Amino acid sequence: MALTGRTGLLAALSALVVLFAPRPEAAAAGLLLVLAALVAVDLLLAGSVRPLRLERSGEHRVRLGDSARVTLTVTNPGTRRVRGLIRDAWAPSAGARPREQALDVPAGERRRVAVTLTPLRRGDRDSAVVTVRSVGPLGLAARQGSHAVPWTVRVLPPFLSRRHLPAKLSRLRELEGRNPVSIRGQGTEFDSLREYVPGDDVRSIDWRATARRSDVVVRTWRPERDRRVLIVLDTSRTSAGRVGVDPASGDPSGWPRLDWSMDAALLLAALAARAGDRVDFLAHDRTVRAWVPGASRTELMSVLVNAMAPLEAELVEADSEGMVAAILARARHRCLVVLLTDLNPAALEEGLLPVLPQLAARHQVLLAAVSDPRVAAMAHGRDTLEQVYDAAAAEHLRNGRRRMTARLRRHGVEVVDAAPEHLAPALADAYLALKAAGRL
Amino acid sequence: MTAGTPASPHGGPEASPRGGPEASSRGTADVAVPGQPVPGDGVPPSPDRAPSAPASPRVRDAWARWRGPLGVLALLAAFALVTALVTRPGTGGYLSAESTTPRGAHALAQLLRDQGVDVRPAGTVQEARELTGPDSLLVVAQSQFLADEALLRDLAALPGDRLLVEPVTQALQALAPEVGAGALTDVESRAPGCDLPAAVRAGTAVTGGVSYNPPPGARSCYGGALVSFSSGGRTVTVVGSGEFMTNERLADDGDAALAMNLAGTRPAVTWLAPSLPQAGAAEGKASVQDLIPPGVTWAAVQLLVAIGLLAVWRARRLGPVVTERLPVVVRAAETVEGRGRLYRSRGARDRAAAALRAAALDRIVPRLGLTADATPAEVVAALAVRTGQNAQQAGAVLYGAPPADDAGLMALARHLDILERQVSNA
Repeated sequence: MALTGRTGLLAALSALVVLFAPRPEAAAAGLLLVLAALVAVDLLLAGSVRPLRLERSGEHRVRLGDSARVTLTVTNPGTRRVRGLIRDAWAPSAGARPREQALDVPAGERRRVAVTLTPLRRGDRDSAVVTVRSVGPLGLAARQGSHAVPWTVRVLPPFLSRRHLPAKLSRLRELEGRNPVSIRGQGTEFDSLREYVPGDDVRSIDWRATARRSDVVVRTWRPERDRRVLIVLDTSRTSAGRVGVDPASGDPSGWPRLDWSMDAALLLAALAARAGDRVDFLAHDRTVRAWVPGASRTELMSVLVNAMAPLEAELVEADSEGMVAAILARARHRCLVVLLTDLNPAALEEGLLPVLPQLAARHQVLLAAVSDPRVAAMAHGRDTLEQVYDAAAAEHLRNGRRRMTARLRRHGVEVVDAAPEHLAPALADAYLALKAAGRL
Repeated sequence: MTAGTPASPHGGPEASPRGGPEASSRGTADVAVPGQPVPGDGVPPSPDRAPSAPASPRVRDAWARWRGPLGVLALLAAFALVTALVTRPGTGGYLSAESTTPRGAHALAQLLRDQGVDVRPAGTVQEARELTGPDSLLVVAQSQFLADEALLRDLAALPGDRLLVEPVTQALQALAPEVGAGALTDVESRAPGCDLPAAVRAGTAVTGGVSYNPPPGARSCYGGALVSFSSGGRTVTVVGSGEFMTNERLADDGDAALAMNLAGTRPAVTWLAPSLPQAGAAEGKASVQDLIPPGVTWAAVQLLVAIGLLAVWRARRLGPVVTERLPVVVRAAETVEGRGRLYRSRGARDRAAAALRAAALDRIVPRLGLTADATPAEVVAALAVRTGQNAQQAGAVLYGAPPADDAGLMALARHLDILERQVSNA
């Protein structure tokens, strides 16, 4: 049960009556008794909350930064009107609005109540309970009760880098020679034979085919297709560090490396799927957190975001040996392994470097890491002594990352080290460059 | 050690969800891109039409759950109440005939009654006047509450013997003007040292306090702590300390005997031991409380009830507080900042200078057309050719000894910047 402000107001007003009553003690007791009786009557007459039936409908998924509507249908099977307040309680980061709203369901009818969720974080958001406060006809007291109406909204990664996709796709079309721009297809994979037209590179004339026919025939090439790309996301402790500015909420404390990496992975996956490559996805720290094998081209993106949504950075050290074993067990054919991790010299030195040769021997490895723009800014501080020391610390880290990059390149590993906003396009460019060079 | 290391596994879950502007900046959100995720497709995580189930306990369920603890609480309360009633110390203060506290005198009053003495406790002078007759003994304790001339005059006019216990100066002057107060002495076990029968029969007793200067013909015992004399047909006894009469001390030494001998001389005893200051009846003061009409008090009570009801109204939450697991919030740059502060606090100019030089060299050497394994001499020579600078000076900046002080470190940082600029501009 609950009281309303009206009860307190009535009690306060009756204090005035008591003040001037001839027998104040009797008046006080009597008025309080009357008030208690009124409250009891109001409680009896209020619509019952327990028999209410609540049903949910609405969206199950929302991209971070968007809003989702979830509708509650309240059915009142009782004989009394249920009038009052309803609150659909969600975890704070689900951003449910409004917090509470008015409800008025006549007996035997039903009403809809909508809640708009604007989540602040990626992941699964569960509804807690729905609480209804049914106020009596006098407006003095209310019955209150909660119902569990389970519903989950999965908050997907926002895929902010999709704005780069048109540009990268046109680069891809240039490679394939399908662009209106008259750049002849270049690539390394034999595509077909066609008649020679003036302007073709004479080096591409297929003399054997020409000998069989009366025309001069040239070979055409296209970029290799049906290659495999395995995107490996490191969800260990280094992916929890926050860099840049949270693009969803503008929070200056930053966005986890994991989310930036996901953004880059999604752009790469979209591009690779369009380029006709098969994309697999693996998330790993000490165990496999997610594994999406060869989804079809049409489903790939929705399957990927669905697999990525619940991933969180685990506060454990990455098990690189296990990760390499997991990759080798899953990728039997040669493929492009894209490792989205941090270029942290200390962690890589002990973790990845010893096992990297195994991986690089069988696959083309591309390591992509988010650099911290704040460290870059610190490296330029010269004004005060503190800034110079900070700059030295920043340079220490950047020197380490450069040395590590050089060592990785000596192992035949491509490295992309870019600021958060630039990681996705840089990774896409690196992929296109590898594709153009026929190194997949 | 490096940028990506969270400070600690429990690195500070957020105290509250991050607020801030609604997420709306999504760039070119409406570019039709094939393959972009469409919310709502695929497999929904939970069935569509979810049924509801009441989550609040029924009244009878709540009763079933709470009746055990409530029963235990009720039992405890009842036990506490009974215990308090049975062992309750009597009301009243020091030397009150009804008080059963260690400082009270209920035991003595009981002993006197057992001996057939009529003990009449009085809380006020008015009562004392009504109870006192010519053949009774008036015991006056707690006289600090009687510091009013009119009251003391009333008392002095009462007939019968007097026993004054620790009288204050004003009371002493009014009730036994012949006696003068002397020095303060310790309250301790003393021998009578006089021929007063009451004291002689009692023997040693816990006495002391104020010692009095006896008037001529008076008997002074226990080093002046007990003075007894006859005056105007009545016996007046003054004791400097009432300790021997208290419930606590009555069993020590000859305390009980002395108290009985002093207080049990008459068939009736009027025991005046007020516990509150006694106002003089003549002055007729009315307290503020008497002036407030009863309606105001009850209206205030009613207002208090109203405030309580308003508090109940505001305190009732609409549903439970919802908790959630929050992510770790740790900025990746924190470790770098920590390293910078560590350099500064330890004055690690050598390491700081080495880091700055290595970074500058990494940028300068490729611009000079050299490989990373070029020797310092080659770098300095190429640098001198490119920038026209003194080779020795450039060498000192790039490969010299670590700076000796902080100013040197700042100068080094500036020189490295200048070198870099010259190389890129040349």
